[in-house]
Amino acid sequence: MSQEHLSMELLLAVRDGERSEPEQVAAHAHVASCEACRAELDRLHQRTAMLRALPTLTPARNAFPAVQRQLAEDLRHRWQRRFAMGGLAAAAALAIAVVGNDLARPAELDASEQLETAMSRSQVLERTLNAWRPETRAMDARTAEIVIQLEDRIAEVDGRLERARRLAEQVELWQERVGLMSALVDVHLTKATNVDL
Amino acid sequence: MTRTLTTVTMQLADADAVVARAQRGDPVALEKLYRAYAPATYNLVRRICRTTEDAEDVLQETFYEVCRSIRNYRGEGSIWGWIRTVASSKALMRLRRNKYRDTDELNDELAPARQGSPALRLDLEAALDRLSPTARAVVWLHDVEGFTHEEIASQMGKSVSFSKSQLARAHQRLRLWLDGGVAG
Repeated sequence: MSQEHLSMELLLAVRDGERSEPEQVAAHAHVASCEACRAELDRLHQRTAMLRALPTLTPARNAFPAVQRQLAEDLRHRWQRRFAMGGLAAAAALAIAVVGNDLARPAELDASEQLETAMSRSQVLERTLNAWRPETRAMDARTAEIVIQLEDRIAEVDGRLERARRLAEQVELWQERVGLMSALVDVHLTKATNVDL
Repeated sequence: MTRTLTTVTMQLADADAVVARAQRGDPVALEKLYRAYAPATYNLVRRICRTTEDAEDVLQETFYEVCRSIRNYRGEGSIWGWIRTVASSKALMRLRRNKYRDTDELNDELAPARQGSPALRLDLEAALDRLSPTARAVVWLHDVEGFTHEEIASQMGKSVSFSKSQLARAHQRLRLWLDGGVAG
């Protein structure tokens, strides 16, 4: 070893501080006593530093919109498969339809009945959503954005409900909550683009 | 050797919070991750891929995978380390798919004309380009990105000695092309 200069592989081992093989340990000792190999090691260090100092190459275009389109397409395919299976999705659609029918004729009910109906429908929608277990479902970026907005608005309505004292105001807020819940179920079970926020 | 990450142009100060939101599907957080790490990711894959078109495709594939799989990231290691592994894996896959003729050989068919001729010495960028895609990938992943030979071998489906050998041969060529001497 001491009579020959180091191979590039051993110079790299010295550069990287590897000492797991006897040959590598000997290489470290050799560099200490061989001026030519020390110079070669210096060149290797310089070359490595130059590699790391190369300018950062940047992409010509923003790829994120294309990523979002791919994710949305994935979601669409998943929905097609799920809807093909029927079951819960159909039940949820029916629940939304029933809620919609009841809310469509509030004038035929007095305020107390309207309040009771809205609270009841809100609970139906909550149960439907919980059964769907949205936290276990993947969703695309656009859907997630709408879900967050809807959940924020529901939380805001809940805050106002806690402070509401007048019956008419409570009815109005519960009906607004049912509308938002219905949209939330809709956005989870159908295409996000159908929801008009 | 100290493991040094390549330039991450914009590190996220609140990376943990952004990742947590991204894992809940927050599109704003996902885009924030993209904007923070796309430059470094592109730089990595562009150094491995032969063309800018391939590199841009791989960048898109990488972040599509990141967005789909972010829920699987368990916080073991930095988020950049995770994204970087996805990116290098995708870039190496692209290399294999393209089946370059010189995948496992150094692309030194022009080298004899340049040997020992200082006037024709290449700069580092050009020298890197002349390495075979495999050799260039090993040099970049090991010496710049800080991957271990074990990690590179695993991603390439090769042995550790293959990775070490590729690195040594690549440096011999770089040494020759850049300094005009004969090493090893």
